Amino acid sequence: MLARVANNLFWMGRYLERSEHIARYMNVNYFSSLDAPSELSQSRQFVLRSMLFVADEEELKVGKELDERKVLFDIGLNPEKQFSILSSIQNAQQNANGARDLISTELYESINTLNRTVKNYDKDRFVKNGLFDFTTMITANVASLRTKIRGTLLHDEVYAIIMLGIYIERANQVIRIINSKYNDALVEKVNSGASVTTSYEWTTLLKCVQTYDMMRRYYRKIPTSNTVLDFLILNPVCPRSIMNSLNNILYYISFLSKEEIPHKDTAAFLIGKLKYEHQYKTIEDVQGGLKTFIEKLVEDLSLVGEKMDKDYFSLY
Amino acid sequence: MFVKKYFIKFTQKVFDLKAPTNLPIFSSYEFDSRFYDEIFTDNNEVRQVYETLFNLFSEYSVDDFANLNDKAKDAFFNQGITFQVYGDKETKEKIFPFDLFPRIIGNKEWCKIEKGALQRSKALNEFLWDLYHDQKIIKDNIVPVELINSSVNFLKQMKGFNPPGGIYNHVSGTDLIKHSDGDYYVLEDNIRCPSGVSYVVGNRDALKRTLFGVFNHYQSYNVSDYGQNLLEIIESVKPKGVDIPKCVVLTPGVYNSAYYEHSFLAKQMGVELVEGRDLFIENDFVYMKTIKGLERVDVIYRRVDDLFIDPLEFKKDSLLGVPGLFKCYMKGKVCLVNAPGTGVADDKAIYTYMPQIIKYYLDEEPILNNVYTYHCSRPEELKYVLENVDKLVVKPVDESGGYGISIGNKLTKEEIEKVKATIKDDPRKYIAQPIMSLSTHATYIEEENSFEPRHVDLRTFTLLGKDKSFVLKGGLTRVALKKGNLVVNSSQGGGSKDTWVLKK
Repeated sequence: MLARVANNLFWMGRYLERSEHIARYMNVNYFSSLDAPSELSQSRQFVLRSMLFVADEEELKVGKELDERKVLFDIGLNPEKQFSILSSIQNAQQNANGARDLISTELYESINTLNRTVKNYDKDRFVKNGLFDFTTMITANVASLRTKIRGTLLHDEVYAIIMLGIYIERANQVIRIINSKYNDALVEKVNSGASVTTSYEWTTLLKCVQTYDMMRRYYRKIPTSNTVLDFLILNPVCPRSIMNSLNNILYYISFLSKEEIPHKDTAAFLIGKLKYEHQYKTIEDVQGGLKTFIEKLVEDLSLVGEKMDKDYFSLY
Repeated sequence: MFVKKYFIKFTQKVFDLKAPTNLPIFSSYEFDSRFYDEIFTDNNEVRQVYETLFNLFSEYSVDDFANLNDKAKDAFFNQGITFQVYGDKETKEKIFPFDLFPRIIGNKEWCKIEKGALQRSKALNEFLWDLYHDQKIIKDNIVPVELINSSVNFLKQMKGFNPPGGIYNHVSGTDLIKHSDGDYYVLEDNIRCPSGVSYVVGNRDALKRTLFGVFNHYQSYNVSDYGQNLLEIIESVKPKGVDIPKCVVLTPGVYNSAYYEHSFLAKQMGVELVEGRDLFIENDFVYMKTIKGLERVDVIYRRVDDLFIDPLEFKKDSLLGVPGLFKCYMKGKVCLVNAPGTGVADDKAIYTYMPQIIKYYLDEEPILNNVYTYHCSRPEELKYVLENVDKLVVKPVDESGGYGISIGNKLTKEEIEKVKATIKDDPRKYIAQPIMSLSTHATYIEEENSFEPRHVDLRTFTLLGKDKSFVLKGGLTRVALKKGNLVVNSSQGGGSKDTWVLKK
């Protein structure tokens, strides 16, 4: 496979996954805040800040009072903002276009159709009362695109590259979402003295990654910081946990890297290292330094993306 | 002008059943008897091949068609069969307009087209070999030497070179029209990088999606086997010593207006679609840059023009090509499809010698007619052209895409004088032909919400390989959507139709 085209496929996977996470995050945060327990967690500003934190931290640095319609428009449909869902879908489409001859007609056509739908989405309706419909439409469509990726492509290098994009992005997004909600819980503690351990934000967090029901099933307890972080970071059974993503990333990178023991400066090496480090870690191990632990993971995961680029795409 | 108005016989019935807004779609089909109409005879009868279709269509109302037309457009956008138009502010995505009324060609009529197109491609290939070797046809005074010497498309680098398999024009597109006498005439041969074949397949898909109900009433040939045949053709011209050749399609990139076609062809053949920057040359071999390092390339179906394929040999500032590619070709390490330098044989001045060229090399009578052509390079003919600009189509020899053409009966007096002056400036650059009457075909006109006759032509696609040839049983029917317009090129506001070649 051409290095340039591999790069396209990798980013197609990443942008698709990214748009889904941002859509889901908007949806869950907005709607669960409506009947949240504390005044702060119900506050619009608090919710809007949380959304911007995940979409693009830079935007928050200005520190102004946020306008709800503007924030929703920026994250959802603003073509000028690189972090908007519209831009992500458009980037996914452009990357798919650059690799058009390698992917199935069904997959290409579905991405193209989604891109057209988002581009032509009624902006006024979206910011007034279309948030639920729009974000649900995005998550449903991305899920269906993943099915097309799995069901219509050869499970070869092309597939492995796309899946690497998807899982690397998933790990990155999930850790960002965890980071954001962890910060929200800290802010709540400062404001109202609420306990970080039993904060309502943990429930929101689970819903943001669609694992609330399964977490309840697994632990049979009300979510606390420990159980939620254990579930979302270290539990390999949870489909959106960092551990699960790492396992998948390691599996798919083996399609590309045939060396049994990869060289220490490679993406394959870093991924293996991260996986085994976390496989034998317990949540109790990181109890004292949760903040540092999460921040380190954010850093390491973005490094995986950079190394991928160097190892596989830089030839072009 | 004598205009016939055709009222369909079941008008009444449709009115009985539906609200008055649902007008039958042929209620006001007016055609001009100076042209051959593909659907109706001069006696207002529907031609035999169209009968079934005509009856089926007559059950649709105007609203139905407006609806179907929108659906077809959506199908093209969703499939990404589009091209980009660059404006001042934003880039717009556009589709090549598609018409819902298919063109039908009966089997007998098709057989002649197919044989004729193949004959021309073969003759052109022999002609190219001769031009780049012994030039016997010039020595025998069949084609004048000035024509070759003055041609910018003659590549002296190709002299004496033997392309793999002896093939120059692997892919040829032949543009045909049907004149008012009901016979086909070739307007031009395209043997550089003829495009449009993806639309033949795309149009078929779109038509099947929207009008599946009419499709099963006809037995027409499938057009989806083009990719397979193209792959066999380009594999047949592999360089010496290669067992299983690695073939690729070379595109200028995603911003090229024909990018859809390039990706379509790569996908149909199951080969990589590469850009110049994906290729790399070492020791006269061509490699592509893959995720696992360099991989050798043997055959390149390039959709980049001659002058842009190699900045070391041709245009120095070209970023689309690969430095050193031409040298690899000359050394026989890679095959380029089509061969560089084919442009010398498809220019409009050479066209006029096609009947002689066919006879000279194949010892056969031309199967397809040529349009009679006046050469402005010959003094007597130049005189005739200058005196009769108003009755002729004047074309520059080396332009494509319909640019620079003037159609005599559409010009004002001042414009005629201007055309005369331009010809006098450089007579070699121009040829003139009688104004041919392109046939008309019922076409859905969105603004009018009805079917109207519009001029059409037909491009066929012929493949030549080592000991193998193929003519696609179908073609691209291009239609001039502007009323009265005779130029069908997409760059001039043309659209296209699905084209059915019947099995019986």
